[in-house]
Amino acid sequence: MDKVSKIGEVIEASSAEFTAQCYKLEQAPPLGSLVKTQDKLGDIYGVIYNVETHSLEPGRRVVARGENLEAEEEIFKANPQLSRLLTTDFRVLVVGHVEGKSWHHYLPPKPASIHSFVYTCQLEEVRAFTRSLDFLSLIVNARIPVPVDEVIGACLRYASQAHQDPNAFLVKAGKELAFMLSTDVQRLNSLLKRLK
Amino acid sequence: MSLDLSKLVGQIIDLAASLKSKEGERKAKLEFALKTVKSSAADMNGLKQKVEASKSTWLVAGPKESIDLGQTAPGCPDDFIVLASDGSHIDVDRHQSAHCFLINIGIAQLQYGRGPDAQLLNFPSLYFKDGEVAITSDDGRQLPIEGQLLGIKRSIEECRWLTERVNELSADLPLVALLDGSLILWRLAEQVYPDFVIRELLIDGFLKYLTRLREISRRRPLVVASYISFPRSTEVVNLLRLAICPHLPVDCDRYCSGKFEGRECDVVGGLLDRDLFARLLTPGQRSALFSSRSSVVVKYYGANEVNLFYIRLDGEVARVEVPLWVAENEKLVGLVHSTIWDQCRRGLGYPVALSEAHEQAVVNVADREQFWRLVNQILVEDGIFLESSAKSESKRARWI
Repeated sequence: MDKVSKIGEVIEASSAEFTAQCYKLEQAPPLGSLVKTQDKLGDIYGVIYNVETHSLEPGRRVVARGENLEAEEEIFKANPQLSRLLTTDFRVLVVGHVEGKSWHHYLPPKPASIHSFVYTCQLEEVRAFTRSLDFLSLIVNARIPVPVDEVIGACLRYASQAHQDPNAFLVKAGKELAFMLSTDVQRLNSLLKRLK
Repeated sequence: MSLDLSKLVGQIIDLAASLKSKEGERKAKLEFALKTVKSSAADMNGLKQKVEASKSTWLVAGPKESIDLGQTAPGCPDDFIVLASDGSHIDVDRHQSAHCFLINIGIAQLQYGRGPDAQLLNFPSLYFKDGEVAITSDDGRQLPIEGQLLGIKRSIEECRWLTERVNELSADLPLVALLDGSLILWRLAEQVYPDFVIRELLIDGFLKYLTRLREISRRRPLVVASYISFPRSTEVVNLLRLAICPHLPVDCDRYCSGKFEGRECDVVGGLLDRDLFARLLTPGQRSALFSSRSSVVVKYYGANEVNLFYIRLDGEVARVEVPLWVAENEKLVGLVHSTIWDQCRRGLGYPVALSEAHEQAVVNVADREQFWRLVNQILVEDGIFLESSAKSESKRARWI
């Protein structure tokens, strides 16, 4: 989290989310991380909500290869082509953008450009972005194919590490969630347990 | 209308019954063939002399080692590279307005050992210029490259790209260069092609690249081989026909002219070489080396004479062909043998490098359609008037 690194490239994009292909196999940032793309209009920020490693070609299934091998690394050593045939993609929920010097915790006017580079964010950037928790509503209300509360929990735990007092940050985030989910106590309780 | 399988079920049952009824006869032939292998191996000099003196109409393999040999694979080197090339093509479509064809070459370069690495590449090329889409003789005769001739052209391009890639690689590690299919351009022998076609495709094409590979092998550890899965060849069985023949010297036209059954040698008729070696070899073993005596090899290949052996794998018997300069060097034969065996184990029964080269090269039905759509789109954008056949249009837009 302490330095910016280029980790992948946008291969699918819509207003609310984008998919990026990782340059290195299984080297996606963790679930809930804040990442950004850089565009002519400004930076677009998003939270990783799903990471998937699969065959590059839809018709080719990955098969088990290690029955007679001692260690998992040996599979890649004995089959060097695998690193060229597999890919790691991660899907990102767009949670804000920067226009000029202003931070906005809502969707940008245009989606991320295809092939735009995706970068990890520095601690300072994460701290600055998560000073306001307005972006949480974009995640809480997202319809995504993974349990959304897992993503919220992972995102807040991750962001808390960027703040001087992580617990204070989590308490603040808990209060924000309580406000947003006041009509759904069961979900709120389950979510708060994920902030520990 | 899709194929009505219900109308075929009865015929498929008849097919199965027919195969079953021949099974007993096939087993008896195989047992006799195996006995003949053993008895012939006991007098290899006699067999070689019989082959040399024969006037046979069968295509007979030339034995170079004892024909009952079952050689276990040596170990692979610690570090080595396997380079494979394969191709596919889109033929000239006479229903399309643009006269062109496409050859797509796939290359897989796999490095094993302490620095494992892989390069998977493809090189699609479009051929449309006058000099590219036909072979022209000095006196102006032309033969268009399409259909079977395009298949031959593709084989040459596979060999050309393999040669170029071999030449680019640093010379420190043993390198096994693999082609898919045969080193013998059978299709050139099957039809009578004019000399200028043979010269361009074979002498100045395929054989030139094989010779180039031989030259490169002098400055780096290199072997070249081609791999044929599930081969249907019968040259070794035909060698047994000669061994069985009671006539000396063997002269098919003299003693058996016009006969198609009931000949002494028909006791092994119908068997394939792979049937023999499935019984003679254990998994990983290779057979004896044989030379190809096919007319196209004898007439044109010279120092690139094709030699071959069979290898028993876990699931099948495959045929491996190597040029003479590999066959004459025991270490190089061992390198081909061990690498093919290793590649097949890594590749679930088929050399993994060839399989990946194929994946890079393959052009499927959807690719073909997209290719022609792109050609037409670009031509239209350039304001080029297009004509295409009504048949082509009818296939594209299916209606009732």
